[in-house]
Parts: sequence; structure tokens; C-alpha cells
Amino acid sequence: MNGKAWRDVRKNFPIYLFLLPTFILVIIFSYYPIISAVYHAFTEWDGVNVRFNGFENFLSMIKDDAFIASLLNVIKLTLFSEIVALTLPLLSAVIIFHLIGERIKYFFRVLFVVPMVVPYMVILLIWRFIYDPLDGLLNRLLMSFGITNTPVWLGDSKTALLSIMLIGFPWVAGFNLLIYLAGLDNISPDLFDAAAIDGALGLKRFFYIELPSLLGQIKLIVIMTLITQLQAFQAPLILTNGGPGFSTMVPGLVIYQNAFHFNRMGYASAIGLVLSIFILILTIINMRYISTEVAVSER
Amino acid sequence: MKNNLLMSNIWKILFLAIIAILTYYPFAFLLFTSFKDLSQFYHNFWTPTFPLRWENYYNAWLAIRQYIFNSLIVTGVSVAGVCIVASMSAFIFARYEFPGREVLYFMLLILIMIPSTLTLVPSFVLIRNLGLLNTRWALILPYISGGQIFAILILRTFFSSLPEELFEAARVDGATIWQSYSLIALPLSRAVLGVVAIMNTLNTWNDYIWPSVVISEDSLRTLTVGLAYFSGQYQTQYGPQMAGYVIASIPLLILFFLTMREFIAGLTSGALKM
Repeated sequence: MNGKAWRDVRKNFPIYLFLLPTFILVIIFSYYPIISAVYHAFTEWDGVNVRFNGFENFLSMIKDDAFIASLLNVIKLTLFSEIVALTLPLLSAVIIFHLIGERIKYFFRVLFVVPMVVPYMVILLIWRFIYDPLDGLLNRLLMSFGITNTPVWLGDSKTALLSIMLIGFPWVAGFNLLIYLAGLDNISPDLFDAAAIDGALGLKRFFYIELPSLLGQIKLIVIMTLITQLQAFQAPLILTNGGPGFSTMVPGLVIYQNAFHFNRMGYASAIGLVLSIFILILTIINMRYISTEVAVSER
Repeated sequence: MKNNLLMSNIWKILFLAIIAILTYYPFAFLLFTSFKDLSQFYHNFWTPTFPLRWENYYNAWLAIRQYIFNSLIVTGVSVAGVCIVASMSAFIFARYEFPGREVLYFMLLILIMIPSTLTLVPSFVLIRNLGLLNTRWALILPYISGGQIFAILILRTFFSSLPEELFEAARVDGATIWQSYSLIALPLSRAVLGVVAIMNTLNTWNDYIWPSVVISEDSLRTLTVGLAYFSGQYQTQYGPQMAGYVIASIPLLILFFLTMREFIAGLTSGALKM
């Protein structure tokens, strides 16, 4: 470093002091784990002993039944979440938006925000109860219709994944609804007036005005759902632990189990690396093509 | 025309009402089951019953109060830490020119793209090697470190939008960086800090995976982890079990009704970060 640059740094010393806490934390708790993860992906590692083993972990993945099953499951779960995210919350947002009367609009907005406040863990535990084979809400309902051979939902490999998908039904109260509503608020009222004069109402208005205007929000939701779903494993962890068999196994849970139950931390890091590269690509697409600004609500 | 509009409004309200009932029924069921003993539960499954068994709440409270207390401490300290550390850095990045500014900012920005799946295992080993397993620091320090990134992004945008004259005048009067930060920037950023705080409160309060990995001692468990454990303990005692879930939902509900506007903003921006 030449003399002038060094003087610049010295003159700015208090500035660097302000940044110090941030960077100390980030180096220890972010940069070190990232480097460690990438390095250990190519090793056999139990958290203490390390042995370099090249691409062995990546080859093991192809032969790992749990991992293969988890990939298929995560694809199904993600596709399902995408379909859900693009239908019911969008429909409900449009309906709320076109309600007549500001007070009733506000009422339904708040009504569908409040459930978001309930901790996700509570939601999962409620759904575990709903699926309980004997005392659960769902089977009690079926029994009251006279159905006797009720499913065991989470305990049967034929229904377990479906049960995980159905958690949160009817999926309206949530983040997606807020994003759609914010998008609808941003459409110029002139556009709706013009449409009304032309007689474009209902479905016509939806396809000619609302859907095109919400493209930004829709793209955002598609990518965000993708990124979240690829990593999510709290529901299977709490409700089924990936079972029965591997019927509800997802990649995040394969990582978790290998690291914390089987002590195969190198292998877990390798799966984490593969998953992260996928997610990284999606995030970059997200940042390049989708402005997050569109999503921030005014209300 | 007017009649048509009213009719369509009624259909819309009907549709939304059905969605609302489907959304809320599990919570309503939770609420009235939380007041039942087992015989009430089995004899009157679908509807509320009397007398209300308040002792369910008492028992559940005894079982989970320590977890709520732990979550309050961890969340409180983490959120305060995020607000302090992030606002200092954001202020510098927004208002000062210095060598390395772009590089350092990029070093932070890029971390938003790193999924937590990648760092879960090495972070655990790091915490273990630092001897922090089964301490609150195992939660607080990573939460501050991770939470500050998005907070810096939001706060930097805000600090950049403040008029330069404010800081120019202070500089002419010989104010130090610390004075500009603490006397001018911070007091003006109360609303934004509120959103940042709520966003981080939600993420910290609801996190399950990380605390389940680094905390195994019962007296230190946070609410999410403690609740999962508690529900295993009270397996078929539905009354106290459900009462516990209700109690666990109350702190955030209170926060929501006290700060609705900031809360919704925090909710949306919190979900936007990946």
C-alpha cells in the first residue's frame, strides 16, 4: 500500500471502528462456516476427525435411497406449493380488493393477517393433532359421516406426503396474500375506471388488467416459494421424521439426520453444498429479473 | 346496476367467509379444547363445554413458562444487538466515503444469498468448539450476526435518504461521527428500527432448527423447542396441551395488536429475505 492510501485509512480510523462489530460477527459466524462447509464437503468428517475423500460424498448421494427419495418428495412438495401459492391467495386478494366499502375491505385484510402471527410450531402441532388417527379432527369428521376405515394419515406411507402438503389449508392467510394485495393497490385506479366504461368486469378484468399488472408479484412469489420449499424440513422433522420409510423425506432432513444422528458431517456438508448451488442460482435469477421493491406494501 | 353490485358484494363476502371459517376453525377448536378435561373432550368433541377447566392453563403455564422466559431473553438481546450493530454499520455505509467501502458492503450483501442449509452443520461444530453449546450465546451471537445483514440493507436505504444539510451542519459545529450517529441519525430512524426489530423478533421467536441443535438442556430451551418437547410430555392430555399452544401464541399476538402497522411491514420485509 502506498503512503497516501495508508494515510486515508488512518484518517478514517473511527469509521472502521464503527464497522468492526459487524465484521467480527460476520467473519466468525458466516464466513468461517461457509468456508468450512465447502471444504468439508470433500471430506469424511465426524465433527472432530477429518479425512479428505475427494468426490466420494457426491458419489454416495446417487446411491443413497434416502437422498433420492428426498429429491422426488421435494419436487412434489414444491410443485404443490407453487400451485397453491398461485391460486387461492390470488383469488382471495382480488376478491378482497373489489369488495365495496373500505371498512369491510380492511376487516378481511386484518382477518387474514392475524393467523400469520401464530408461531409456525403451534400450527404444526395443531395439524399433528388434526391428523391423529383416533382423536384427530379429520378422522372424527370422517367417522361422523359413518366412515369406519379411516386413514392413519401421517402413519401411512401412501398418505403421509399428502398430509404434509395439506398443512395450512386453505392457505389464504399468509404472506402471499399480502403481496398480491400490495400489488393490486399499486394498479392505477384510472385503469379500472377505463375498464368499467368498456364493460370489462369479473374474469375479463382479471385477465386483461389484474393478471398482467401482478406479473412482478407472481414472479416474486414463484421464486420465493421455490427457495423456501427446497430448504424446508421443519414439518417432516416434527410430524414424521421423514417416514414412514422415506415417504416424507426431504433434502434438508437428510442433511439434519446425517449430521446430528449419524455423525456423517462431511456427507451432510456435501448435500448442503449441492442444495445451496441450486438455491444460489435461483436467488441470482430472482435478484436479476425480479425487483423486490414491487412487493413492499404501502399500508 | 346498483343492485348487481350489491349482489356481487354478497357473493364475495360469502366466499371470504367460508375461507375465513376454514382458516379459523382449527384455532377455535384449539381454544375450546384447551378448556376441557378428558371426559368433556370425549363426550363433546365438536363444541365448547362448561365448566371451563382453567387448571389446564395453570398446568400448561407451569410447564412452559421457563421456555417463554428463555425466548424473551434470547429474542430481546438478539433484537437489541441487531438494531445497535446494524444501525452503526448502515450509518457509515450510507453517509461516509472511505477506502474499501464498496468491497466491504459487497461482502455483506453477498451473504443474503447464502442459504442456511449450507452453514447449519459447520456452525454447530463452531459453536461446540467455542464451548458455547447449551448457553444462550449459542443463539444470541449467530442471531445478531445473521439478522444484521438484512437490517443493514433496510437501514442504509433509510439513512441515505436523510438530507445532507443535517449532517453538514453538525460537522461544521465539530460533531464527531458518534455524535452524528447517536444524536441525529438514530432518533430519526425510530420507525424504521421498529420494522427491523419486529422482523427480527419474528424470525428469532419462531426459529426451531437452530435452537433444537445447540440447546439440549431443558432449562435453556426456547419456546419452539420447549413446545415440541412439552407436546410429547402431554401426549393424550389434550386440554393442557392445547392450553400450552394458546399461551405460546399470546406474546406475538399482543405485539401484533400493539404495533399493527410496523408488524405488517416487518412481516412482509422479513419474508422477503431468504
